[in-house]
Amino acid sequence: MSPKKGCIAVVPVGNVPEAALRTVVAQILVHFNLPADILSPLENPEYAFDMRRRQYNAATIIKTFESMPFREYGKVLAILNVDIFIPIFTHVLGEAQEGGRYALASMFRLRKGPDGYSPSMSNILERLAKVALHELGHLFEVVHCADDKCIMHFSGNLQDLDAINLNFCSYCLRYLSESIQKDLKRYGNPGNDRRL
Amino acid sequence: MDEKMRIMIVDDEKIVRESLYHWFKRSGHVVETAASGFEALEKLEKVAFDVLFVDIKMPQMDGIEVLRRVKEEYPDTIVIIMTAYGSIESAVEAMKIGASDYLLKPFKPDQLTLAIAKITRQMKLTSKYRYVKGLLDEITRFDNIIGQSRAMQDIFDLIPEVAQTDSSILITGETGTGKELVAKAIHAKSLRSKGPFIAINCGAIPDTLLESELFGHEKGAFTGADRARKGFFEVVSGGTLFLDEIGEISTKMQVDLLRVLEERKVFRIGDRETIDVDFRLITSTRRDLPTEVAEGDFREDFFYRINVITLKIPPLRKRKDDIPLLVEHFLDKYSRETTKRVDHVTREATEFMKRYDWPGNVRELENAIERAVVLSKKRTLGVEDFSFLIPSPAVRSGARTLKEREKDYIQEVLEENDWNVTRSAAVLGINRVTLHKMIKRYNLQRVQ
Repeated sequence: MSPKKGCIAVVPVGNVPEAALRTVVAQILVHFNLPADILSPLENPEYAFDMRRRQYNAATIIKTFESMPFREYGKVLAILNVDIFIPIFTHVLGEAQEGGRYALASMFRLRKGPDGYSPSMSNILERLAKVALHELGHLFEVVHCADDKCIMHFSGNLQDLDAINLNFCSYCLRYLSESIQKDLKRYGNPGNDRRL
Repeated sequence: MDEKMRIMIVDDEKIVRESLYHWFKRSGHVVETAASGFEALEKLEKVAFDVLFVDIKMPQMDGIEVLRRVKEEYPDTIVIIMTAYGSIESAVEAMKIGASDYLLKPFKPDQLTLAIAKITRQMKLTSKYRYVKGLLDEITRFDNIIGQSRAMQDIFDLIPEVAQTDSSILITGETGTGKELVAKAIHAKSLRSKGPFIAINCGAIPDTLLESELFGHEKGAFTGADRARKGFFEVVSGGTLFLDEIGEISTKMQVDLLRVLEERKVFRIGDRETIDVDFRLITSTRRDLPTEVAEGDFREDFFYRINVITLKIPPLRKRKDDIPLLVEHFLDKYSRETTKRVDHVTREATEFMKRYDWPGNVRELENAIERAVVLSKKRTLGVEDFSFLIPSPAVRSGARTLKEREKDYIQEVLEENDWNVTRSAAVLGINRVTLHKMIKRYNLQRVQ
């Protein structure tokens, strides 16, 4: 049993600012009470580039991740700086395998304001943290929440994303906590005997 | 996401099915997928879905055809059409057929949220509609008696009126028409509703036993009477006594009952003391009592005593408009009782049932629905589920000529439409003048 199984891997893909990675790691520690390692950056996923859509296919990226050597980590979160999509949607801000190991969060669309303004860096980082925590929530089998302030509420656009809090509602938090404990029992504690 | 829904994604592209499957699953919905229209319809036959997301372009059966069939068989199921930019015309056509919305692929993430919010609103409206429909059903239902035909509406109007009096009522009608239900409804609406309602089937009890049941007996009145027993005339005090199949009782019993009705007193068998009785009498028969009176088979004085008010319940074949309503009612009843989700009957099956003569009337229809529900493995009952209904000899007979059949059919349509020539002509697919000519040619007359 690997000591890293209860630890989350944060993988920068392409040119991702250091501040973004540190923000995500800090938020994982605060909200999931789990340690996170920042791994070495990977190249932009050109293998997933769709010529017709001029975007990167999120499903292809996740599929490729499955064959990469992240075995010691229970969950892997990739932070990208490219525009990602799934076939039915024009774009997505993030993508995750429900109850699986791999999730993506893209910064590409977070740098634009709904009215064309350029948001501050702290605003962009807060948005990224929300997307990252939301997708990680899916990895722990937390589904979309009806509470429009909860981080697990589905945000169809940036206005919705800005409107939610950087917090899980009490129900999602309880579910998340149970799911993490189950996961820790299965894979062992990564060293920190923390409880949510 | 407010409501948890049962959703089916119908798309021949695996990637689309999977993407939407995961997205809806993530939102807590129950999701199924189908790779073709045929697969979708097969699944719909077994399980009900609230919403279908259907791609327009699919091989073999396209989304429009799926939509058409779904709206025909399961009109409550909401259908959202998914289409590419190239097929906007089809999307417009889909909306005309009954699609609730259409989404252009690929869609923005918030478009899906908006579509779901719209569906939720629509489902709430549907449930409100069902509530209102339930209120309307009250109008077509009177204490479990169901009917929207004029004949039944007339009876619904009469029940509260006659209930307020204490006069004897004779309910006539073929077996299975619901005579006892009408008697119960009259009792329920009467001033005696707080008293008992006792129903006795006179045809099922031998005369001597009927006498002892009605009048009661003293201990030792006859062999086996080891203790005194009150008769129904006493027990029903303050309430309503319903004597079903009154035409079956003997002449002696008619005399005995006549005396009770006139004097309002009874003797228990083996006793000389009179006991005052207070009840309202409702009787019923499937026989033609006036003819029997004329032929001397039924006492005239007793007939007039029980026949102060007459209610005629029409046979089901004379009120075929009520069949869909009755089918819906029994389907609902037996789906619930058997916990099998059978909630639809195809149009063809309804038409088949409307053509059948129902010699056993509503009771036979109820039994037919129960049997079909129990044996069906699908959600929708088709003609094949009612193959056990054997058409009446008149329909089966090959001896009748085409003209005879034509005459019977025209008569049937005229009766069904209350002899409204315009409506009947429309049903028959001929013009009014032709129908008038045919009525004259065949010397057709309204059946009384």
